[in-house]
This record gives sequence, structure tokens and C-alpha cells, in this order.
Amino acid sequence: MQVFRLEKKRLMPFLRKVMRSYELVAPVKTDLVRFEKIKNPKSICFEKPYFPVKGFFFKKHQVLFEFDGSRVKIPANNEPERVFFGLKKCDLNAIIRQDKVFLEDAEDPYYKASREKSFLLGFHCDEACSEYCFCGSMELVDFYDLMFYDKGNHFLVEEGSEKGRFLISKFKEFFKPVPRKITQEEKEIKGTDRLKKNSITHLYDHPGWQKDVENCFSCGACTALCPTCYCFEIHDEVKSSCLSKGCRKRCWSSCQLQSFTRVAGDHVFREKREERFKHRIFHQLGYFKEKYGMNLCVGCGRCIEGCPTRIDFIKTINEMEDEQRE
Amino acid sequence: MTKPKVGFFGITGCAGCLLSFIFNEDEILDITNLVNLKAFPFIKEVNADDNFDIVFLEGLVASKEDLETLKKLRGNTKILVSLGACACTGCVPAYRHFTLKENYEHLLYEKRERIRDVEPTPIDAHVKVDYFIPGCPPNKKEILSFIKDLLLGKKPRQYTDPVCVECRRNNNLCLLDIGKPCLGPITLGGCNSVCTNGGFECWGCRGPTKDMNLDLMIKVLKEKGFDDKFIKDRMRTFAGLKLPVLERVINAKGNNAKPHNKD
Repeated sequence: MQVFRLEKKRLMPFLRKVMRSYELVAPVKTDLVRFEKIKNPKSICFEKPYFPVKGFFFKKHQVLFEFDGSRVKIPANNEPERVFFGLKKCDLNAIIRQDKVFLEDAEDPYYKASREKSFLLGFHCDEACSEYCFCGSMELVDFYDLMFYDKGNHFLVEEGSEKGRFLISKFKEFFKPVPRKITQEEKEIKGTDRLKKNSITHLYDHPGWQKDVENCFSCGACTALCPTCYCFEIHDEVKSSCLSKGCRKRCWSSCQLQSFTRVAGDHVFREKREERFKHRIFHQLGYFKEKYGMNLCVGCGRCIEGCPTRIDFIKTINEMEDEQRE
Repeated sequence: MTKPKVGFFGITGCAGCLLSFIFNEDEILDITNLVNLKAFPFIKEVNADDNFDIVFLEGLVASKEDLETLKKLRGNTKILVSLGACACTGCVPAYRHFTLKENYEHLLYEKRERIRDVEPTPIDAHVKVDYFIPGCPPNKKEILSFIKDLLLGKKPRQYTDPVCVECRRNNNLCLLDIGKPCLGPITLGGCNSVCTNGGFECWGCRGPTKDMNLDLMIKVLKEKGFDDKFIKDRMRTFAGLKLPVLERVINAKGNNAKPHNKD
């Protein structure tokens, strides 16, 4: 793929110009780092956001349709065209996973609308963003429209798609083609292969999970912070002025909650904390792979960093593996 | 369809929960078109006192009169709803349980023989309660959606997830991470994490979740440097009577504040 050079001092002018045509979303640091709509590109930071980017595509609250008696109206799609800047390799690979769920299995028009109008600009990590990262163990691939590599006084920018090529040509005054490739070595992220073995199906009944289960509140922080978790619930909201008018909403949910597996007759089929705890980990590192050929987990470590008790299930898996090998 | 006959009543409490319903200014007239608001002594001059379909009751039982009112209302309604923290968990007034009466009553009352109190208790300690709308005060929208669900013949949605679910969805910094004694992980949500959105830790006003990990909550607070007395006091503020295992988990020494169970 073609590589370009962007001088560092030209980054802000480039982003400012991007903002004239698109909504720009990038990490901003206040009390935490979050993906935010940018008003001033100087506020952008290059750290990994604490919260994932998924909410821009898979909305926390999505009106699926409005109803008036038996008449149904699908809300107009007025998503702006967005340029996402500062996505990490884990964020980008997470989008591959969500694409599989929301575009390949059954096309979700709401997800598709925001996804189609997005440009994904990655920012390469040279090393682990935090002590919790394990992206190097998760067989991540190259996936981006443009990828930025920090080279001291300049960036090398690699094209990854047609959309990327389009952006480069639209803003060509900033980018100078360079006759080189980004090497595999340059693409490496050091110190991120902490998970020794990423197939864990044989560990389901291992007693080693117990201490993690005891440290779990089932608060759902892990699934809200996960860039790939895609579970939701659907409910109706009616107007007080007329009970036959209202809307059907889809909202984020979490496999960690009893309410998530509550079915007719008030039966909760994953009532025990242990079952819910294991379900998330085995979905991330097992069930999804059986269906789609890749792990759902991208190794960003947000679920560990954001857990009130820092449950490090990677450490637990490694301990169980070591013990089985002995 | 005949309109369901609805009453809003209060026993010992601050009337804040009744106000919560009234704060739905934009929709309250629509609701009064849907139901027959037979009684609401707080805002109506003429009020019926029997034959209800739904009664929302605010407050806790703290006097003999409260108990009489409660029993009468229970007998006169098909559905009884605990409205707000006092009715659901006992809330702050029930804190009286955890401190010796002799320590304070002479400070407050000159003629102690006139006090006709009973042990302060949430209303489900005395009668069968059909639904709970917790919170101090309850979420005003929750009261409306409760009424609308019933009108549609649905089982009203009872929120069972902890506060953290909404707090994380609101992209908040975890207050436990900055050392605040937040009870969000064991407390019922449905409040849209209104306190933690403003940086104020959860005190547990909506009561514990059915699925709470109380042992872990206490362990985490202790690790953050809070002592037994603090943890006990904080957890008892809003939901002491609904956390019966507290005595077992915390073994506070030298604390004379024991429950004085009478009757």
C-alpha cells in the first residue's frame, strides 16, 4: 500500500481542514480519555481512550421505529460523515467484529448508516498502552482507511482502503508520497503478547475461575467498556398523551446482568454470577471464534482497566494453563 | 375501558416522592386523562378514601396512625405500590433502628410520654406490597412509565441492574477508582446514575440489588481505607433494614449502636 509523509507541524492544519468537510472524532483527555467530537484539534491526545468508540456506530439508545397505532415510521437517518482520528489497532479490529455482527449476519440499517459514513484513521502504538493490553496475543490484522506512524518530526501515513485513498487525494497538499513500505517490524506493538494460549474451551470447569468470580460485582463495567460487546435489549416507550403512540428502542445491555437472561415466566437462565462471568470470557475467547473464525476479544484490556476490582482474567488463564502443563 | 381508580398517599415522609410525580408537569394532565385520580391529599381538596385500583404510598411506618392508614389502604386497593425509599427500604428515618433511643429522644421531645412511635419500618414489613418504585426521590419518569405499563396490561418493568450499568454508559469516571466510597455496584439503578454523573458517590438510596456482592463491596471499601464504622453507617443510611447480613460481614467493635428490637 502506498505510503505518504505528513510533517508534524502540518497535522493541525490538516485536521482543521478535515473539520470543514467532516465531523472529527478523536481522543480527548479530561479526567479520563474519551472519543469526542472535536471542536479544537489542539485538544486531541494520542492515548488510548478509556471508553471504546463503538457508541458512534452501535448506539447506546437507538430508536428502531416510531409507531402510531399500526402505522410504523423508521426515523430518518441524519448521521453526519465522520472522520475518526487516533483509533488504535484494537479499536480498528473491534470494528471488524462489530461489522460481522451488524452487517454480515443481518444488515442493521442503523449501524450501517453511521458505519458507511465513517473514515477510520488509525494511530499506531509502538508498545503496550497499559499493563493490561494483550492485543499481541489476539491475531489482529491490518484494517484502516489510513494509519499514522509517529516518526519523530513527521508521520508516515499508510493507505489501507479506497476511502483512505480518497481522503489523501482530497487533502493532497498535506501528503507527500514516499517510495517505501511500512515493514512488519514497524507494525509490531511490543510487550502485548501476555496471553499464552488463546483457546480456553478446556478450562470451563477449572476451579481457578473461583477467585475472579468472588471479585466480581456483576456491574457490567467490562461489557460497557468493551469495544466489541454487542448485546442489547429492546423495549417500547409510549406517550402519555396517547398510549398507542410511541417508539421502540434498542439499548445496550450486558450478559453480566440477571435481567439480560430473564425470559417469559420470570425465569433467569444464567442466574449464578459464575455462569455470567464465564459466559463473557468464553464468548470473547471461544464461542465467537467457532462461528466467525476469529476471537471476539481484541486484547485492548479495557475490561480489566475499568473493572472496579481489576479482575485480570488473562493472568488467571495463564495460571490455569501453567498448572495444567506441570 | 373504565379508568383505573388511583390514589397517591403519604405516611411518615417528606412528601418528596409525591412531588416527584408532580414534577412531570408536561405530562401530568395527560395522565389524569388516563386514570381517575380519586385521591391525592397533597394537591387535591376532596379525596376519596376507599375502592382503589392502584395506590401509591409514600413514607414509612413510624407511628400507630401510619400503621392504621397503611392497613386501611391495603384493604381498599387492588394494587399497592411502595413509592420511594422510605416505603421501600425505610430510608433515613429507619436509621433510628441503629442508634439507642435514650441517646436522642430527650433532646427532641419535652414530653416523652406523648410519643406514640412504633419501630420505623418500610411498608412491606407490615402488608403485602405489589410493586416497588425505589429512590430518594424516585425517578419521575419511572412513575409515569409504571402507570402506562399497567394501563397497557403489561407487567411494569422493575429495574434490577446496578447503578454502574448506567454510570458506565454515561461515560463517567469510576468514583471508586478515585477513592470515593461509592455504593453503585450493589445499588439498584434506574436513576440514570444522577449522583455519580455529578461526581457525587452513590449512597444506595434505591436499595440493594437482588444480586449484590455485599462481601466484596465491604472488602473493596476496607481496602480503600474506610473503617468498619464508616462502612456500616454509610450502608445503613438508606437501606440498613434491607441489608440484614451487614451485622455478619462487619464485626464492628466498641459500637454501642445495636438495633433495639421491640414488640
